[in-house]
Order: sequence, then structure tokens, then C-alpha cells
Amino acid sequence: MSFNSVDYALFFMVVFVLYWGMGSQKVKSQNLLLLGASYFFYAQWDARFLFLLVLSTLFNFMIGRQIHTGSEGGRARLFWLYLGVTLNVWVLAVFKLPISWLSSIPQGASLLVNPVTLKVMLPVGVSFYTFCGLSYIIDIYKKKITPSTDYIEYAVFIGFFPALTAGPIERASHFLPQLRQPRRFDGAQASDGLRQLLWGLFKKVVIADGCAQYVNMIFGDAAGYSASTLVLGAVLFSFQIYADFSGYSDMALGSARLLGIELMQNFAFPYFSRDIAEFWRRWHMSLSSWFRDYVFFPLERRRLPLVGQGLNTVIVFLLTGLWHGFNWTFVAWGGVIAAYFLILLYFPKKRNNAAVVAQGKIFPTPREVFELAATFGMITFAWVFFRADTLQGAVNYISAMVSWSLFSIPEVLPTGLVLLIFLSMVIEWLGREQKYALAQFALGWPRPLRWAFYYTLVFVIFYFSGSQQQFIYSQF
Amino acid sequence: MYRFFRNLFLFALPLILLGVSMEVLIRNIPNDYSYKRNYLDQYADEVEVLFLGSSHAYRDINPALIQENGFNAAYVSQSLYFDYRILQKYEGHWSHLRYIFVPISYFSLFYELKDGPEAWRVKNYSIYYSMATSPHISDYSEMLSNRLDINVQRIYSYYFSGEDPLTTSDLGWGGRALPDTVDLAEKGKIAAQRHTAASAALFDGNVAILKSMISFADAHNVQVVFYTPPAYGTYVENLDEAQLTRMLSTMTALDEAHSNVTYVDYLTSSLFDEEDFYDADHLNEEGALKFTLEMEKLIDIKK
Repeated sequence: MSFNSVDYALFFMVVFVLYWGMGSQKVKSQNLLLLGASYFFYAQWDARFLFLLVLSTLFNFMIGRQIHTGSEGGRARLFWLYLGVTLNVWVLAVFKLPISWLSSIPQGASLLVNPVTLKVMLPVGVSFYTFCGLSYIIDIYKKKITPSTDYIEYAVFIGFFPALTAGPIERASHFLPQLRQPRRFDGAQASDGLRQLLWGLFKKVVIADGCAQYVNMIFGDAAGYSASTLVLGAVLFSFQIYADFSGYSDMALGSARLLGIELMQNFAFPYFSRDIAEFWRRWHMSLSSWFRDYVFFPLERRRLPLVGQGLNTVIVFLLTGLWHGFNWTFVAWGGVIAAYFLILLYFPKKRNNAAVVAQGKIFPTPREVFELAATFGMITFAWVFFRADTLQGAVNYISAMVSWSLFSIPEVLPTGLVLLIFLSMVIEWLGREQKYALAQFALGWPRPLRWAFYYTLVFVIFYFSGSQQQFIYSQF
Repeated sequence: MYRFFRNLFLFALPLILLGVSMEVLIRNIPNDYSYKRNYLDQYADEVEVLFLGSSHAYRDINPALIQENGFNAAYVSQSLYFDYRILQKYEGHWSHLRYIFVPISYFSLFYELKDGPEAWRVKNYSIYYSMATSPHISDYSEMLSNRLDINVQRIYSYYFSGEDPLTTSDLGWGGRALPDTVDLAEKGKIAAQRHTAASAALFDGNVAILKSMISFADAHNVQVVFYTPPAYGTYVENLDEAQLTRMLSTMTALDEAHSNVTYVDYLTSSLFDEEDFYDADHLNEEGALKFTLEMEKLIDIKK
């Protein structure tokens, strides 16, 4: 059941009415409903893997309690932590490693192998909920949180349906307290959630799926196109993956907000970044902060002299690439991003890009325009590795981009789509100081005008809703 | 909460009214599916030869050319699953049925309508054949399964331009004359690639459907003729050997195992030349004439 389906709309309406119909004081009943709805939602994807989600949830819940009850300074706590981390990583490895690497897995696991494609069938969302579980047990070990005593509450944290298949990767310290408090219906908050849902749907159906048609065509036959078309294909993929994933995140956050729950922000207008560090702070924030907190910081505490920080940076980005799948293309993508970081690290210049670009202004300065374009260009280059089927395919694609045909008119020129991308980026630019583009956009307009704008979005979504594509990140 | 729901209702009301109105308008436009369903509702009792299948039967066989009462219930992208559902739907009505013709194309055993790019057609079976086969709500609605511009175009064409939306003949045939130009080499390659399955995951299910069809026919004393339709050389030479061999050996085995089953392979038949093809895997009107007469010969042999 995908967010961009009528099935999800109906499912959500039923959950919404039941959820708020219970009354805000019935916290446990609401949590139970959320858990039931989440497992139903997951079963619609693939009921066979529901057992894995339940098993992973139960396992991490018990490990968390064991770590907590272990004596201070004793080996028991460390043992349970290692056991928890090892088994979580093992689960990821089983489902993400290519089948040829898996000769040592137990016979039972072969049930999960597609006999025709010889690929392990990937349970939807496994990378996301496994990382939620990992952060939970590590935080308990570090005494940042105490383990939950309510299994239902913990299971909702792991399986909460808006975030289950493609994040954000929630933290227990942020999510669990919300499940313990009475949630009161707030009309303004609900309207805000609807707006974010609408904008996410627009980005997914109109921009991402619109780009997908051309990207698939160009990447599918790269040798047959001019360099200018290949550049256009790479640029369109940059917009596709952004609109696809941030659109998903907007829909997840909007759905959760309608239920009175705030999820972590996952995107903060990453294409309006002036350097790669700023981009990485704004892209897939729940994953980048996870690697920062649970990999980079611990590595930094044992930093080797001279090359230490650079080495740690490379390790983090290679792992980030591998998190997407055990494929050399993802490793190369992580390597390229790491290389960009190393340049920043070893050739430092004065940077002050913590705030939003051109804060409080309508237009950026020429220097900022140059920095935005340069960062976007670097990211687009890296995305070629991410999108290509093989490493050789990526190299061929990039090689073919360097030719005199770069100065020709692209054979494929989707002017309507380019216009829509431009308009959506204008709206994103105007809303870049908010949590999402429509948070304040049009709110000050008279109601007829505001509603006309929303109706326009709805009609455009319906206009483009024929070529539904799977969310890219639900495959991870 | 009341205010939120009131505003949501007010916002959604025009959209719902517009959507429902368009849904009603579109459903009232005659189409090939509703025509075939109405025909079978009325005349299933009289049909002696039933042609099922995908476009390879819909385009290639004109029942008006055979002596028996025939009807072509095939349609574009119709899978074996829906062929069998049509048989089942009129189970009590096949009192005169003697022959069922089902095309087993290169892709037939590896394909299911619900899983492919033509999945949007599932709604036609839900709406016009009243078959509840899908768990997805959009498969029960015209408005939710097609793009808005396509729906608007359909309404405009029928209600304002007065265009006839039917493409099928009285007996369900969808013949097409030879187009002005056709690149059979390129078309053959593209169609072969499109018809080559990424996996054989659907194979067992489709063979099970064929066996159900055979049992169904046996129980009703009906002969089943499976055939692989003719295709142009550029299509055949781009087929995957393993997929083709698996299909051919399966059909030969079914033919040998069941007394009420005949299988004939026309894939590389020399009866058809370039002039007979509409594209690399469909016949034109001339080719359909030839091919239907071949079907008639099979009926005569079976008599």
C-alpha cells in the first residue's frame, strides 16, 4: 500500500476517524490501534515479512531490557549490546548481500530467495526499522534513555506506519515520549499535516514520476544519446530522487501530524545548499544524523593522528553507501561524497553556511548563486553512480557526457516537466525558511485564492497520476 | 475538530461532485468491454466457438468468417486469468459451446495483467464484467485508474464530438487494415523485448489456469484448441530461447496429456508473409482472414 494510492487514502481515513474517535485520554487504546494499523499496512506490502518485523521488534525490546538491568561496569551489558548489534547487522546483511556472498546462510533462509531472479527478496523498510532498533539499544547502553516497559508503545515506535517503509529513522528519545502523553486534536496542526501531505504527493506524482519516465529512458540507453541529453538525464534524476524521497517524507510527516505525532524532519531544502557539508546536513537528515551519532562520533573518539578525521569521514560515507545496498555503485556514490568532504576538510576556507541561504531575502547574491549551482552540479555527478545499474555503466555514462555533443540541443526536451520543476523549486525557495515548502505559503491569501491554489495542485496531481512509480527509498 | 471536518468537507465537496459526475459520464460511454459483456449476457447460450485471449486473438480472428456461431471475447492484454474468469462467469450459459480457442503466445505463460504496465485495464473487468478480482480501490473506478486528461478526452470525444468509441466488430473482432508504413524490423525487436519475462514467477500459476480451463472444458464436453499465433521473423529471431522452449514443451505436454486438447504452433508458419502483418506480432485484416480460415480447418478436423 503506497502513500500515493487511493487505498492508502481510504486506509488513513479509517485510522484517522477511529483514532480521534476514541478520545484523547485513551492513550493505550490509541497506541494499540496504531500498532494494528501499522501491521495491517505492512502486510499489504508483503505479509510474509511481517514475522521479521515482529521478531526484530521483540528481540530489540528484550535486548534493551537486558542491557538496562546489567550491572554497571559489568560485562553483561556489553555482551547484550554486542549481541543486539551483531544480530541487527546480520539481518541487514542477509537481506542486502548479493546471493553469491551468502553461501554460509542457513538453509531456511533460502526460502527468502526468489528462485528465478536468484535475488534475496528484500523486506520493505528493513534498513529503516533495523536502524531504529539499533539506535534504541545503543542509547540504552549509553544511558541516554531508559528502556520502554510497554511493549505496545515500543512496537509502535518501530512499526509506526507513516515512517515504516522509508523513514524518517526515528529516535526513541524523540518518539516514545509522544506516545506516552495524551494527544489532543488540534485543527491547525491537522491542517498543517494535510498541506504537507498534499505537497509531498505533488512532488512524488508530478515531479518524481514525471522525471522517472525520461530518466529510465536515458539511463536505459545511454550510448544512444548525445552528451547534452545525458546531462539532462542526470539533472532530471537529481530532481527525481529529491522529489521522490522528500515527497515520501512529507507524506510521512503529514500523516503523522494528522495523528498528533511529530516525526523528525528528514529534508531541509538540500538543493539550496552552498557546499557539500550543508547539503549533507539537509539531505536524509535522519540517516546522516544516525551515522554521525552512532558511527562518526565514536570513531572520532579514537581518532588516528593526521589522517584520523579524513579516514573516519571516508568510513562513514562508505557505510552510508552500503546502507543502500551491497552494490559497487552505492559504494562509489559514498566514495564520491566522501571525496567532496575531504576537499573541504583538507583545504579549509572560511565557511558560514549554517543558516538558510539568503535568509530574509528574496534573491540570493551572485556568489550564492554560483555556490548553489556548483554544489548542485557536484551532487548531480554523484547521483550518476547512485542511479546506474553497474559501476561500469556509471563510468560509461560519465565518459559519454564529455563530448562535443554536449553543446547540442538534447534529443529529449520535456519542456512542460522542466517548467513544473522550475515552479515547484520557486515554491520551495519561497518556503525554504520553514519546515516544508507549503508551511506558510499562501496562508496569508484570502481563502478563495488559497483554496484555488490547493485545487490547482489537486488537479495537477490527478492529471499526472497515470504512471505510478514505486518510491525509490522503499526498496532500501 | 468540528471546524476542521467542516472545512475539509467544504473543500472536498466540489472535488467529490466533479469526480462522481465524471465517473458516471465515463461509465455510460459504450466501450469494447461493455459491448462484449452485453453480447455474452444476451447470446452466450448460442455461442458454439469461443475465442479468448489477448490482442493476438482479438486482432487475428474474425468469427464472422467461420460457419459456426462464433464470438471473439479476447481483448488487448487479456491474460489467461481473465480468459478463465470469462469462461466461469457464463458457466451456466455455454449450452451450445463446442470449441474454445486460446492463444498461447510467447509471453502468455509468463504474464499476468495485474502485474504489468497494462494493469490499469483491470478496472474494465471489475466495472464492465462485474468481476471483483482486485484488492485495489482504483481498479473499480474509471476516474481513479486513468489520467485526468484521458478521462476528459473520452468525455469530450463521445458527448461533444459524437465519436464512436467502439473499435470491435459485431462478433468481437478488432481487425486493423495495413498501416501506411511499418518498420517490422524495429517493431519486432521491441515487441520481443517487451514480451520477454524478467522472471518465471508467474509460470506455475498460468499453467494451473490452463489445467483448470481444460477441466472446465472437459466437464462441459468442450474441445480446447491452444495455438501459438503467427509472428513475423524479426519478432521470432529476437525471442529468448529458454522462455520459448519452456512454453512450447509445456503446451506439447498438455496436448499429449489431455484428450480434449489440441495444440498447434503457427509461430513460424510459412502461410503468412510480410503482407499479412499489421506489425511484427499482429496480423492485419488480410492476415486475419487467412488465419481464421486456418482455425476453421481445425474445427473441421475435430468434427
